[in-house]
Amino acid sequence: MNRGEIVPLREPGATPADALAHADALYHLARHLTRHAADAEDLVQETYARAFRALGRIAAGPELRAWLFRILRNAFLDLQRRARRSPVDARDDLDGLAGAAPGEEAWLRGDAELERMRGIVGAEIEAALRTLPEDSRVVVLLDVEGFSEAEVGEVMGCPVGTVKSRLARARAALRERLSEYRR
Amino acid sequence: MDCKEARASLHDFGRRRLEAPRHEAVSRHLDGCPACRRAADAETLLDRLLRERLPRHAAPPELRRRLDELAHAARAPGASPGLAAGAAHPPLRRADAVRRIARFAAPAVAAAVAFAAGALLVGRRADGDALATLGREAVTDHLRAISSPHPPDIESSASHEVKPWFEGRLDFAPRVPPDGGEVRLRGGSVGWFLDRKAAVITYTLRRHAVTLLAFRGEGLPWPSRAAGADRLRATSRGFHAVFWRSGELWYALVSDVDPGELDRLAAAFAGAT
Repeated sequence: MNRGEIVPLREPGATPADALAHADALYHLARHLTRHAADAEDLVQETYARAFRALGRIAAGPELRAWLFRILRNAFLDLQRRARRSPVDARDDLDGLAGAAPGEEAWLRGDAELERMRGIVGAEIEAALRTLPEDSRVVVLLDVEGFSEAEVGEVMGCPVGTVKSRLARARAALRERLSEYRR
Repeated sequence: MDCKEARASLHDFGRRRLEAPRHEAVSRHLDGCPACRRAADAETLLDRLLRERLPRHAAPPELRRRLDELAHAARAPGASPGLAAGAAHPPLRRADAVRRIARFAAPAVAAAVAFAAGALLVGRRADGDALATLGREAVTDHLRAISSPHPPDIESSASHEVKPWFEGRLDFAPRVPPDGGEVRLRGGSVGWFLDRKAAVITYTLRRHAVTLLAFRGEGLPWPSRAAGADRLRATSRGFHAVFWRSGELWYALVSDVDPGELDRLAAAFAGAT
């Protein structure tokens, strides 16, 4: 028995093609982060420029996806800081959404509210999403994208418990905004 | 399980992430608690709104081309990853500059710059690629429209009702060709074509679904070989898409009907647009 054999346990590094398979999803998030098509293109391009420098160190698979989204978000925060638009406060969602505790929103008060919500159109959801702070938009969009809470935590650099509470508050705020549009 | 516990689990319940016993417990609670059932319905509805109605943005063809260049440089033999990314930058910055000019210049100049950039980037050899990309996007939009569980946002077989519905929802006024022959108008919705808003007008032709997309053509490369052609046809995944232009607006008619029949319908629609 060849007990001295060394078996490589690490999967081979991801290729540019593996990374490019996420371009649409990254661009989608970038559009909702930057709110501008050209800025979103810049952001995705910057993301890939950074990613390709270190791609060989990451295995293809779910890990690659979370890693790319993390790069995109960090690149976005860097751009914001550089542009000196508004100082980025990672906790602004918790304060900004304080009025929208999960489970207390208007649209849970009756079936009529729910019925009204069904008439919401894409432009209204997009507008409601725009009113949320950056952190909240990211958690809501990644969640819908199928990321687990652990993966969202990887992207945001925070524990799962924090993701859970941010997501609940962000979705509650989103419902509240949407319900306002339909009044 | 009480309401507080149930509410805290609703999101994971909807995502089917709970262990079987806990899933069962939430399910039982919802059966007996109308308030929590409503909260669960609200969760589900928000998911559906976000998944099905939030505009889905796909990477535009020009961005894809630049990313391919970056990837190509990263793959270059002998290039260290850091060097590769650096080497890919100059041409990309040039493309950025064109785009920035287009963004900040006066609208008429912007349109000219964007169109010229498109023409440069989509050379003769790339014509087929450009058309294929447009075709793929149109077919994807058609599939999104026909697979949606929701009726069109405005459900009507009357063109004079569908057309005014778009007012205030789009920054252009699409023509909505009326019923004719075996074609029946079903209604319209606001959707997206690549990076721009589009009118998504749905018809039926016998048992086939037909989607007419109308959107602003600004910045999109109309294949140069087809400069004199009235219409263009692309095929993707068994569906056909016929494109034509009317002033600033582009139209795409998509269906799985016979390509000849689709083209005849497109010619009739183009006459009406």
